[in-house]
Amino acid sequence: MNEDISENIVSFLQKALPLISSAVILFLAYIPVSMPILNNVRPDLGLICIYFWILHRPDLFNLVSIVLLGLWDMTISSALPGSGLFAYLTLYVLLYNTQRFFNAKPFVVIWYGFMALSLVVLLIKWLVVSIYYGQFLPLSMLMFGYLIGAALYPLVSAVLAFIQNKLIQDEGL
Amino acid sequence: MKRRRSLFLHLNQLKLLAKKFALVILFVASLILMLLNKNQSLILDQASGAAVKFAAPVVDVLVVPAKLLSYGYDYFSELKRIKSDNRILRAENKKLRLLQDKYKALEIENKLLAELLNYVPLPAADFVSAHVVAEENNAFAHSMVAYIGDSVVEKGDVVLSDNGVIGRVDKIADAYAKIILITDINSKIPVMVEKTRVRGVLSGDNTMVPKLIFVPLDAQVNVGDRIVTSGVSGVFPAGLPVGQVAAVSKNEIKVKPFTALEKLEYVKIVRYGLGGLIKQQEDGNE
Repeated sequence: MNEDISENIVSFLQKALPLISSAVILFLAYIPVSMPILNNVRPDLGLICIYFWILHRPDLFNLVSIVLLGLWDMTISSALPGSGLFAYLTLYVLLYNTQRFFNAKPFVVIWYGFMALSLVVLLIKWLVVSIYYGQFLPLSMLMFGYLIGAALYPLVSAVLAFIQNKLIQDEGL
Repeated sequence: MKRRRSLFLHLNQLKLLAKKFALVILFVASLILMLLNKNQSLILDQASGAAVKFAAPVVDVLVVPAKLLSYGYDYFSELKRIKSDNRILRAENKKLRLLQDKYKALEIENKLLAELLNYVPLPAADFVSAHVVAEENNAFAHSMVAYIGDSVVEKGDVVLSDNGVIGRVDKIADAYAKIILITDINSKIPVMVEKTRVRGVLSGDNTMVPKLIFVPLDAQVNVGDRIVTSGVSGVFPAGLPVGQVAAVSKNEIKVKPFTALEKLEYVKIVRYGLGGLIKQQEDGNE
């Protein structure tokens, strides 16, 4: 009986690992560091996590996970409430329609895919928030953030791949 | 039996419909959240405050390993500069001692003149030194979260660094305060040019150099002019240093803050007890 409960807990935690790891990584972007470039332009690590998990484990990371991650982002970010969630949903829609293209493709193609999709997502978010405030937000900061995010993709995806391969065990295997 | 089956069918159809339109509903929900913010919704404000209460300690823990690495790097890089810094500081100290004498004499003179004029001084300020635990600087927001412990801090309190104003307290959640920086798009501070006393509003635009708006067309503003708070609206007391005019063009005046906002480890949250427009707004909401 006790074994069943502990097995269930472990199984639940494993299923929740993509969301938990994404939430932790999302927070890393808010840590103060003594590097002027990183401190001035913070990348959106949430986009990397969503992109990775939807491509690799869509069974464990679905629309509900995206909504929870969007709400989680809203708790600490001072950006317009709902704008983060809007961006994550946009990425989900884009990925949903292009997912087949990335199947069994080499890492470089997946990386380029992230660069292309995250650029579209960030530009849409930038446009929506700019319309809300009635003035254009600084595009240069957005682009720097985007480039840093694109450069960090291999590193973050390596961490997520480690979690996927070592910590998540598939049922029935 | 038939009735039950039809009810079940209805529920299934509803579920399918909800699944089909879940995305649309969520997109609409995110847009509604944005619009709620425009109306400064009290519910959203309270929910956000509660969320900060929960999220800030998590960041506080996550920050430890990164801080250790950062301190290590800073320690060794600072060792190199110690000798030259020491020489500069000695020279600076000499100058400051002279200035201190002047300041003391001026303070006495000012007190005497104030007594002669029956001048009512501003209330004395209390301050709290707070440790920065999280930062957000990107195209969408400029803010930070600071640990205040059990100190009494209120929404709207002024946040200063050693060099001048850096922002104001936006939300308080237990031992943490969310601070909106002067570079944030939601920040508007009444300021004036120190030399000419020309008034304006320092408006953040999410760049590192906020702009000066509502300045009279015929006003003389030059690059290098010091910008200080004007005290209008009663949130910030007059005369606090903010920045320096960095660029003047036909359409806009850019101001570079005196403080490098990306390098702050500690901030000073000052309570002047003025309240001003923010207090009035809160009273209005109640």
